[in-house]
Amino acid sequence: MDNTHHEEHISSYAELFGTWVALILLTFMTVFISVFGSGLQTLTVAMALLIASVKATVVGLYFMHLKYDQKMYRVMMMVVMSLFTFFLIMVILDYLTR
Amino acid sequence: MNHTFTLPNSGHNFDAKASKLGMWLFLYTELLLFGGLFLVYMVYRFLNQEAFLEASYELNVWMGTVNTIILLTSSLTIAMSITALQKGDKKLSVILLWLTIAAALAFLVIKYFEWSAKFEHGLFPGMEHYDALPVGERLYFYLYFFMTGLHALHVIVGAVFILVVVKKINNGSVNQKRYSLLENSGLYWHLVDLVWIYLFPLFYLIH
Repeated sequence: MDNTHHEEHISSYAELFGTWVALILLTFMTVFISVFGSGLQTLTVAMALLIASVKATVVGLYFMHLKYDQKMYRVMMMVVMSLFTFFLIMVILDYLTR
Repeated sequence: MNHTFTLPNSGHNFDAKASKLGMWLFLYTELLLFGGLFLVYMVYRFLNQEAFLEASYELNVWMGTVNTIILLTSSLTIAMSITALQKGDKKLSVILLWLTIAAALAFLVIKYFEWSAKFEHGLFPGMEHYDALPVGERLYFYLYFFMTGLHALHVIVGAVFILVVVKKINNGSVNQKRYSLLENSGLYWHLVDLVWIYLFPLFYLIH
């Protein structure tokens, strides 16, 4: 067996470039909302985090190749995210109930 | 008696899957490291909303935006470099890696100017102006320096990692058939980008 062979999908330049365009557009969007929507603070915070999460997901799926790699990496990512969400909820509960 | 023995794969222990899994395991711990810091940020922000808001106006949104674009673009160049090597275009792969390293340096230069401006205003923990600030603003700058500092450290490590990969592509030990190391440096670099994607809105944008 040829151990050096990756039976992997090769990302096309076009797809990577498209990913970059999407990320840049999302960046401009979040800056725009922050600079021109400063009257709506709560909305701005929520939007900024939402857009950041969309960007992070895009980076993970396309740049980090999670979309095409074995399922294992995605499953483990979900485990780590769940763990973090658990910490987050515990901290929020702690501070809300003081 | 001769005790030499032969490994099943004649000593060439190359396992792309294991190596990638190892890298991912490390990246998961990195996510939790920064995740913990984000929780600290969240709690102190919750307790000092006005002060955090006030302090965040000290940061330069445009420098932050330029740095975000630089990091996103460097993520593109390293991802394309992997594609280039997989397709056998060694030369293009190396050029794209140099571009990534150049972006890392540009990021650090901008960071240097940003930090210098803060130092001039005496905003670094321990400086006179900093010590006179209200508690909430002190916490903001403390977290700002710690989190962007730790991130900048990752940028430096990432750039060195990529430099090693460039050397190994040039001497042929990383090639079209064995590109794990390149892939792993890419994963690390994307993580650096990923962390910045959250740092940028949390410190610069949330007004």
